[in-house]
Amino acid sequence: MNDAPMNEEIFPKGTGKSYALVEMMRGESPMVGKGPEKTVFSFPVVLLWEILILLGVTLALFFFSLVKQAPLDAIANPQVTTDPAKAPWYFVGLQELLEHMHPTLAGIVIPGILVLFLVALPYLDYSREHAGVWFSTRRGKRIAGWTALYAVVAMTAFIVLDNAFSMRELLRGAAPAWVAQWLLPSLILALIVLLPVAVLWRKGASVREIMIALFTVMLASAVVLTISGFLFRGPGFEMYLPWQMPDGYNPWNDF
Amino acid sequence: MAQSKPLTRLTDSRVWRSVFRHGWPDNPLDRSLTMTSNIFFHLHPVKVSHKSLRWTYTFGLGIMATVLYSVLVFTGILLMFYYVPSVERAYPTMKEIQLSVPLGQFTRNMHRWAAHGMVLVVILHMARVFYTGAYKPPREFNWVIGVVLLLLTLGASFTGYLLPWDQLSYWAITVGANIAGYAPVAGPVMREILLGGTEVGQDTLIRFYTLHIALLPLSLVLLISVHLWRVRKDGGLAANDVPDAE
Repeated sequence: MNDAPMNEEIFPKGTGKSYALVEMMRGESPMVGKGPEKTVFSFPVVLLWEILILLGVTLALFFFSLVKQAPLDAIANPQVTTDPAKAPWYFVGLQELLEHMHPTLAGIVIPGILVLFLVALPYLDYSREHAGVWFSTRRGKRIAGWTALYAVVAMTAFIVLDNAFSMRELLRGAAPAWVAQWLLPSLILALIVLLPVAVLWRKGASVREIMIALFTVMLASAVVLTISGFLFRGPGFEMYLPWQMPDGYNPWNDF
Repeated sequence: MAQSKPLTRLTDSRVWRSVFRHGWPDNPLDRSLTMTSNIFFHLHPVKVSHKSLRWTYTFGLGIMATVLYSVLVFTGILLMFYYVPSVERAYPTMKEIQLSVPLGQFTRNMHRWAAHGMVLVVILHMARVFYTGAYKPPREFNWVIGVVLLLLTLGASFTGYLLPWDQLSYWAITVGANIAGYAPVAGPVMREILLGGTEVGQDTLIRFYTLHIALLPLSLVLLISVHLWRVRKDGGLAANDVPDAE
C-alpha cells in the first residue's frame, strides 16, 4: 500500500493521454511521391486468386496424368548402355554443348559463368528506373525481340555448322587439340554473346538494355541447345531430324 | 455479410475464439487480423496494390511454382510409403507402385509431371522477374535467393530422376555426373562425392534419395518462405513502384 501514491504519480489514471515511442529521422515517408492508394485487402482477394491458380494447376496436372503415363524403362543395367544416353531435358542443353567443345568448358566453365552472371546481375544493373515494367521501355522490348531472333539464328548456325564441319576433325593434326576444343569455341561463343552488346554500346544503350540483350542471348541459346539436344539427337547422340530417327527411337519417350 | 444464428453461435464459442483470434472478416480490422494472426497467411501483406494483381504482369508463375512444389511434397510422401531405396528393391517397388498400389501409377504420374512442370515454371518465373526489372534495388538479394531456388529445384529434380532405377534414370545420372567430373582439379573428387563411389550404385542411390526427400525439400521450403517474406518486406511486387501516371 505504501508505494500506491507513487504509482499514481508516474502513471496517472484516466487522464485520457496515450503514449508512444517516437523518433524524428531523416528520409521520405513511405507515401512520398505516391498517388492515392489503390489497394485491396488481401483477404479474400489474393487468397481467392491463389485458390484459383491452385485448382487450375492441380486440374491440369490431374488430366495430364490421366492420359500420359510416367515412363519406366527396363531395370538399370550397368553393363548395357542405352543409346542414346541423354541427361534430363533441363541438362540436355549442356550435353549438346559438350558435343562442340572441351567438356570442362561446356560442363563447368560456361554454366559457372551463367550462374555468376545471374547472381551478379542485380548488383551490375542497380538503377531503379523502370522497375516493374515489362522490358522497361518500348526500346527494351525491341532489343529483347531482336536479340532473341539473333541468338536463335546464331546458335542454330553454330550447332549445324559445327556438326557438319566439325572443328575437331578439320583441325586434327593442323593445330594442337586445345585450339579446336577451347580457343575456337570460346571465341565463337564470346563473339555471339558480345556482338549485340557492342552494337548497343555504340548506340549508347543503358546498363539495363545491355542486360536485356545478355539475358535474352542466354535464354534463347539455352532454348536452342535444349531443343537440339532433346529433339534432334538420336542414337550415338548423332544429329537426325526428329521424324527420321533410326531404330524407332522416339525422343519423347525419354521425358 | 449477415451471419446465421448457428454460425454466430459457433464463431462466438470459446473453442473457436481460442483458435481464431479475430472476428468474422467482413470489416477492415478483422480482414487485417485474419492475415496477420495466421501463420499461413502472414507471409502476405494485409493489403496489396491493384497493380500486383494484374494477370499479365506475373502470369501467376511464382504461385504456380509454389503450388507445384506442394503437389510434389504431397505425392512424394505417398510414394515414400512404398518405395525402397535399395538397388535390389527400388525397381520392383516401382513396378509394385504402378501395378498393384491403388492409384499408384496415377500418383507417380502426378509426381513426375509436377516435377517437370516445376522446373519449367521456375525458369519462366525467373524470365518474368528479369524482364520486368523486378531484381532492381531493393530486391537484389531476393533475386539471388531466387537463383539459389532455381539451382535447388534443378537439384531436387535431378536427384529424383535416379530413383526409379531403370535404364533411363541410370544412364541420365551417369551422363550428368560425368559432366560434374570434368571440373578442373576438383572434378573427380566432386563426382565421387556426388556418387559415393566411382560409378552409380547403391551408395549413389541412398545419397540421391536422402538429398531428394530430406535435404533439398527442407532447403526449398526454408528458402521459399524467406523468398515470399522478402517480397512483402521489399514493398510487394515491383509493379507497385511504378508511378500511377503510367
